[in-house]
Amino acid sequence: MDMNSLDPRVNRLSTNTYPVPNEPTAPLDQFGTFEVFVQPKGDKPFQHEGIVHAPNLEMAYVLAKEAFTRRFVCVSLYVVDTANVAASPITEGDVNIYQRIEDRSDQPGEKLSYEIYHLTRRGKQHVHAGTVQAVNAQDAMVKAKHQFNSGKGICSVWAVRTKDIRFTLPEEKDLWNTLPEKKFRDASAYKGGDKLSVFLQSKQKSSDHSGHSDNADQ
Amino acid sequence: MNNIALKELLYKIADDQLILGHRNSEWTGMGPLLEEDIAFSSMAQDKVGQSLAMYTLLHSLGEGDPDTVAFTRRGNQFHNCVLVELPNGEYDFSLVRHFLFDTAEAIRFELLSTSSYEPLAQLAKKIRGELRYHTLHANTWIRQLGSSTEESIARIQASLNFSLPFAMGIFEASPHENELIESGVFAGEKELKQRWLAKVEEIIHQTDLHLPDLNTVEPVLGGRVGKHSEHLQPLLDEMSEVFRIDPTAEW
Repeated sequence: MDMNSLDPRVNRLSTNTYPVPNEPTAPLDQFGTFEVFVQPKGDKPFQHEGIVHAPNLEMAYVLAKEAFTRRFVCVSLYVVDTANVAASPITEGDVNIYQRIEDRSDQPGEKLSYEIYHLTRRGKQHVHAGTVQAVNAQDAMVKAKHQFNSGKGICSVWAVRTKDIRFTLPEEKDLWNTLPEKKFRDASAYKGGDKLSVFLQSKQKSSDHSGHSDNADQ
Repeated sequence: MNNIALKELLYKIADDQLILGHRNSEWTGMGPLLEEDIAFSSMAQDKVGQSLAMYTLLHSLGEGDPDTVAFTRRGNQFHNCVLVELPNGEYDFSLVRHFLFDTAEAIRFELLSTSSYEPLAQLAKKIRGELRYHTLHANTWIRQLGSSTEESIARIQASLNFSLPFAMGIFEASPHENELIESGVFAGEKELKQRWLAKVEEIIHQTDLHLPDLNTVEPVLGGRVGKHSEHLQPLLDEMSEVFRIDPTAEW
């Protein structure tokens, strides 16, 4: 079936089989997910912004860069496979999640670096709280309880092994250099409201004018 | 050093960016996956933005204002290489073109960051991060698709074979090469091509693709002197369609 669109780009697509037969897609017919963390300013912690779909960690980094940092000022970004994020449950009410995490005696094993994130309220984002040395994610949360527990307002904690993260490399810090100039990505930069007001005023004036001449004709 | 040589250099860079920016923007809303659609569209926007910066430099050297220069010239007045004007076709071709072109573009601006023409050197430093992302994006995709499935490898290889003669056109020599080199404005197309080839080989060697011997490749030249394929003028007509309705409109 030929497809006619007002958009010439659409008409150029090879879509002679459009619409595609309505066959069920294969299960899991999409890439896995990766969690994206963004640092808005140099003195602010990284915070969780959302997910991207990608075939691997490096592709996730590349795709997350524009999906999450193409508009608002930002200085750094990192990604980690969702499967590598250890998440506690989210507590109800004012219950601090660390009350649910019981102390354990030190476990044997090699200590690795883990990044810890706190959620302070449902609907907000997990924010980086600090780094601990631990033998596994569970151990990391116990360590975090002693180092970062402010006593209240923490309803969930995440632990991510540092070496599972694809960080922004020092030489990549210039990726966002020109971002503050890209105002054209903000609708407000087009001052649509102002232009509409000017247009409506000019229309008002011309109709006032024609109304006046109508009267003069009478 | 006269302005004619400098302007010729600026025009070909700017026209490459504008035309490829426009071509790549044709994928907006039609990319193979949401995240890639956004990334490719953003880079297309970067390219048009970079061309605006170049046309603004040209304006300061006495050329017309950027909108007039971008939207009112005929095809034979454009100095872009033919590679960038080719229609999109399948996504593998767009990715390969992006890889071949942006590898050259990033090295070109690296060379220009020490240009004796100071405004150009400053611009080169300013957009280094944008170009770093463009090459990171291109290299990552080529590594990914160039070594995953039989189909992806075959498709990228076919697009690579198809694109190389056109990619050679990026390096079409200017009549002012020696002047640009001697005055320290630009290290020249030969130097650029040599560095480009080394980088392209480095990435291709990390995949299951193979780079054809460039000595067997017949370059498609002419773009730099206004000799284009039949694909440029329709692109220009479409790109300038809205502008031409009311050239004085403020956006």
